[in-house]
Amino acid sequence: MLVIVAALLCLGSGFLTVRLGWRAVSPSLASILLQLSLAVGFGLGIFSIVFLAVGVSVLKLSLADLLVFFCLLAFYVVFRRSVPPESKQDALPVTDSWCLRLLTAVFAIASACAIYAAIMRALAHPHGDGWDAFAIWNLHARFLFLAGPNWREGFSPLIPWSHPDYPLLIPAVIAHFWTLLGHESQVVPAAVGLLFTFSTAGVLTSSLHILRGRAAALLGGLALLCTPAFIEIGTWQYADIPLSFFFLGAASLLCLHEKGQGHRQNNSGLLVLAGLSAAFATWTKNEGLLFFCSLIAARVIVLFRDKRKSHESPGHRESRQDRFLPFLLGAIPVLLVVLYFKRTVAPPNELFTDANHTLHKLLSGARYWAVIQWFVKQFFRFGHWLWIPITLVMVGYYFAIGSENRSLPSRQGRILRLTLLFTLAGYFVIYLNTPYEIYWHLRFSLNRLFLQLWPTAIFLFSLAVSPHGKRHTASQLGAE
Amino acid sequence: MQPDFTYFGRMHPRRVTICPILFASCCLLSSARLVLQAPRPRDVKASAEKIPRQSDLRFAELRKNLPARGVVGYWGDSALTPPAVGAYYLTQYALAPLVVERSLKHPLVVGNFPDSAAPPVPANLRLVKDFGDGVFLFAAEDAR
Repeated sequence: MLVIVAALLCLGSGFLTVRLGWRAVSPSLASILLQLSLAVGFGLGIFSIVFLAVGVSVLKLSLADLLVFFCLLAFYVVFRRSVPPESKQDALPVTDSWCLRLLTAVFAIASACAIYAAIMRALAHPHGDGWDAFAIWNLHARFLFLAGPNWREGFSPLIPWSHPDYPLLIPAVIAHFWTLLGHESQVVPAAVGLLFTFSTAGVLTSSLHILRGRAAALLGGLALLCTPAFIEIGTWQYADIPLSFFFLGAASLLCLHEKGQGHRQNNSGLLVLAGLSAAFATWTKNEGLLFFCSLIAARVIVLFRDKRKSHESPGHRESRQDRFLPFLLGAIPVLLVVLYFKRTVAPPNELFTDANHTLHKLLSGARYWAVIQWFVKQFFRFGHWLWIPITLVMVGYYFAIGSENRSLPSRQGRILRLTLLFTLAGYFVIYLNTPYEIYWHLRFSLNRLFLQLWPTAIFLFSLAVSPHGKRHTASQLGAE
Repeated sequence: MQPDFTYFGRMHPRRVTICPILFASCCLLSSARLVLQAPRPRDVKASAEKIPRQSDLRFAELRKNLPARGVVGYWGDSALTPPAVGAYYLTQYALAPLVVERSLKHPLVVGNFPDSAAPPVPANLRLVKDFGDGVFLFAAEDAR
């Protein structure tokens, strides 16, 4: 009973957090689905931090859960008084053609297949199907749950390859619910894996529905739900899918903010939520830090370039999109937790311990060739697709629909494309410098790194290949 | 001014209607793979017990003979092959919150040989108890 109440409080806390930042987006079914999907990840993220702050006392943890929920509720009640009624002006026209009905049916079949496959996998492999679940995430959760005040012993370099420097969102949220249950249950990590997997699909389809309409949402959702590796890795209880959730969350919220700006709506709350999502990515896995830095760098570059252009043009004025403070405000609380963990608990990352040979590795042509080969190979294979890689289908689709049916990237679209590019470049350099045998490292991790970026890549692709209700140019989308 | 578009309406060129259908068909192929490779209901129970059999259940008796926390040594297949590394991880997973170090330099050393007979015991180890199924507890005589 306590766990059910806690699960509702977790979802409620996430939902209230999302609602606090949610303004001026159409009150459609897609909007509600997006808020609920984001609420799942945000709620789990908040509960992981609550556990770290409070520890393994059931009473204290229950009180802390209640306190967090009611604090958010109080903020929400106060905040909502000043919010103007939501606008419906963003609703896109939908033509219920036979083609759209067919796509809806195909999407329903694909969703049913994904749900069936995910549940069967979760039932058959409640401890995860692969080493990461029991060697890293659930092991760390056991230390947090069983070792009490001595939990740091589990993050010792004496346990090789257990990545003691990995952040604690997943282990801490599992330990949170185990503490409330009073015992370990594999239902918890399995449920966390399933929730993140399908919430990612929820964020993708609903945000695309809001930004580009039903067809784009259905096609984007299909591309994700029909990627077998995404469902498999999600149910294996690896952290790559939760990470992909937060990457996508940040990307979709930034684009929604931009859409609101296009209608002159003050929705900086979405920027706060985007910052929170990007920061939760850093609290999920180390690659989140790379994504966060890439996003900041991409934003600085694009804004600098746009400003230089607009200064040269007559009638220049500052755009409200230039504000980045709300994004940082949303990120800072979680970044402080990550900083605390990195400074007080985590040993140095093993990928950067071999500094003496870095220059030699970076100058080795053979290593570049190896990484390029694997990047190209995995581009077609990382999804574990049957016969036809969806990446290839997407490339074909992009060219087949013709340039007249594509959208020019908005400013945020350009920032996010550059972010993905920088993140991929970061992965590339990490492989070049890996202390492990390079082929072994590429073989056992590159597909998962691609999967981390996959939902965001589908999101950006769907934005690019779907025309708006009225075709927008880059300037109309906020680059003025 | 650009013309208005509505998805897959009559104003679209035919290829914009065909392309999504081809796209969806290619996607559905992989959905078939997902379903075909999903575990069968009759196999679920046996599959779900695999990890506990290799970790928690296998080390349950040994766990009662170890301290609640601290560091113990580990003696198993020293090769860095996937089965050997996997056996070590499963031991650590089962014995948490004890830290299991792949070293013989601790007063208590866990012996783990799930797939083979144990090789000759090193001179500094004394067998404390054989728990069966390849699980042993040793005491190290020159431990730090």
